[in-house]
Amino acid sequence: MKKGMKLSVAARREENWGWIMVAPTIIGLIVLNLWPFVQTLYTSFCEHLGFGHYKFIGLGNYIEIFQTPEFWKATWNTIYFCILTVPVGLFLALLVAMLLNAKIKGKGIFRTIFFLPMVCAPAAVTMVWRWIFNAEYGILNQMFGTHVNWITDSKVVMIACAIVAIWSNIGYDAVLLLAGLQNISKSYYEAANIDGATKVTQFFQITLPMVSPTLFVVMIMRLMSAVKVYDLIYMMVEETNPAVTSVQSLMYLFYRESFIAGSRGTGSAIVIWTVLLIGAITVLQFIGQKKWVNYDV
Amino acid sequence: MKKIPRIASLVLAITLLLSLSGCGATDGKTHLKFQIWDVAQRDSMQAICDAYTAKNPDVVIEVQVTSWNEYWTKLEAAAESNTMPDIFWMHTNQILYYSDFGMLADVTDLYADEDPNYYQNHFSEISIGNASGSDGRMYGVPKDKDNIFLVYNKEMFDAAGVAYPDDTWTWDDLVSASAQIYDKTGKYGYMAYNDDQMGYWSFVYQAGGCILTEDKTRAGFDQPGTKKGMEFYVGLQQNDWCPNQAYFAETAPGTAFFSEIGSMYIEGNWELMNKCINFPNMDGKWDIAPMPKCPDPVSGDGRATISNGLCYSTAAHGKTKEIALDVIKFFGTEEAQLLASSYGAAISAYTGTEQPYFDAFDKAGYDINVEIVMDQFEYGVQNVNNAAKPKWKSPVLDELNKVYNGQQSLDSALANMQKIVDTETAKKLAGD
Repeated sequence: MKKGMKLSVAARREENWGWIMVAPTIIGLIVLNLWPFVQTLYTSFCEHLGFGHYKFIGLGNYIEIFQTPEFWKATWNTIYFCILTVPVGLFLALLVAMLLNAKIKGKGIFRTIFFLPMVCAPAAVTMVWRWIFNAEYGILNQMFGTHVNWITDSKVVMIACAIVAIWSNIGYDAVLLLAGLQNISKSYYEAANIDGATKVTQFFQITLPMVSPTLFVVMIMRLMSAVKVYDLIYMMVEETNPAVTSVQSLMYLFYRESFIAGSRGTGSAIVIWTVLLIGAITVLQFIGQKKWVNYDV
Repeated sequence: MKKIPRIASLVLAITLLLSLSGCGATDGKTHLKFQIWDVAQRDSMQAICDAYTAKNPDVVIEVQVTSWNEYWTKLEAAAESNTMPDIFWMHTNQILYYSDFGMLADVTDLYADEDPNYYQNHFSEISIGNASGSDGRMYGVPKDKDNIFLVYNKEMFDAAGVAYPDDTWTWDDLVSASAQIYDKTGKYGYMAYNDDQMGYWSFVYQAGGCILTEDKTRAGFDQPGTKKGMEFYVGLQQNDWCPNQAYFAETAPGTAFFSEIGSMYIEGNWELMNKCINFPNMDGKWDIAPMPKCPDPVSGDGRATISNGLCYSTAAHGKTKEIALDVIKFFGTEEAQLLASSYGAAISAYTGTEQPYFDAFDKAGYDINVEIVMDQFEYGVQNVNNAAKPKWKSPVLDELNKVYNGQQSLDSALANMQKIVDTETAKKLAGD
């Protein structure tokens, strides 16, 4: 429709219907996402006196958290968790996706097996891993004859959590990447074969550039969920665990502040900080993607 | 034929609306919800509810169980929107927070018509204290009373040739027995882990110290008795016969005990019946003994056990407040408390209604010296609390964790713990 043209009655009716059709989603977003976010922002400037009574204290919560070492430790733990899980997870997921894309027997079964962790409840998955990691009776230490305190040694506990996170997410990421891989036309590889390119060259010159848009999307998703990691650590590490400060993420700290200590103002400030962190990481990624993501197909 | 879909959708809409209104009572009776957190007490709670219904046929009470952690998140959210359950359990950890905010109905004069001194006449001072708010008014009808004691494995004591613990036992006996059992059988001795109520608190009070001062406005971590108790308790993990905190993070002392890996740990009487039922293969192999006493306390006679108690509460502004008050009034009577005791899950608070609890173990054929729990009430110490407890409980635990994993000395931890409790308490007092 051209600009300046008045809408006919029928067109206006159609437009109204359009609004009505999207209304449930928009209202849902406003009520369930946008409004709580505004409230969280406001709460972060307040002290929670108890039972929903708040007192405005300006930047007090932020000043308080920026002065506590636990907070900075939790911020570093969160970033460390991202560093441990995202690159390795993406690499393994790509590897799995390529294997699943190859001509092998029982492809369907393998795809199902790799996807299975995704359909298990995270809490149940973590409970099973806790037993695998158990220092005294766990299968891991029994198998290798070692005595590593997987979830109570402050140096190892994060790696243990990262292993579980990578294991749970590989299948899902691999399926997304698989879809990307299947979009690559076979003719590129045929041409490369005629030119005598090795498999390695083919991977770097064809596969990687062609799958890079999908890889980029998966990376953004994975990083965001890694920054928000909570349930895994909560289930894995209890409050009396001596390694708890070495593994508690920002969201775990938020939970302890808001729901155990009842300081919802401090908790909200931690959440806002996390939002900023995710925002910063995502902006960096979008700047960085120009260097490696290839949209010309 | 166009009308049919319209009629169908109308019918559907009406059914939906009807099912909504179905949430309300349709049988003309008042339905109350009673929220608790301990699944082991569901039967005894349902029994006293049914006893109330037998007297008041038009009131039906449904017991709902929520796990401990969720319980408090849910209850607080419900309190904010004034949709608290009609009746619920209240714990000493939280009662001051709730009552200071006026969330709980004042039940001080609940029995004024029959006996103005009802509580004083029928409940112990500790029970009343556990159900009181900061203003000294009652915000719950005392439900039960408990204390903690030493649980020991008889077979391991026999194998090591050590006499069973009794009421003459001191800290020194605890240490030497632990060492002997570890030497002779390879099993752990007393399993001392990082916990307050089930851990260092009792030892602090035995040594003549305190966690909070009498008026609950300051912490007592700077007092010599407290330091003595803490040094002893925290130091226990230095021994070979006690697993370290890393071990306990994965294996709870109770689990280690009933897997016959360790010989002693501290348990509360509310868990006894549960343990008997869940570990039938251990039947006859274990027993309980009084808390060992401090041989040279800074003050007092060296005896102490933390004694806690729950109470029945209702919301201050609940829609069914009058009926709910009548129900909890019944829950506080001798009749209801006798009935609750008889299930062996908790010792009723009402003085003179304890015996059915102990009989329950005989009846079920469990050979345990449960009477010890009764004797221990004599030197029970009220479960430590003040209005700021939800704020300081976790940070204090964190400080102590740093001692257990070698990140700081006990002295600096004590100083930090003192500061944390004092600051949070002062904030709370200033806020009110």
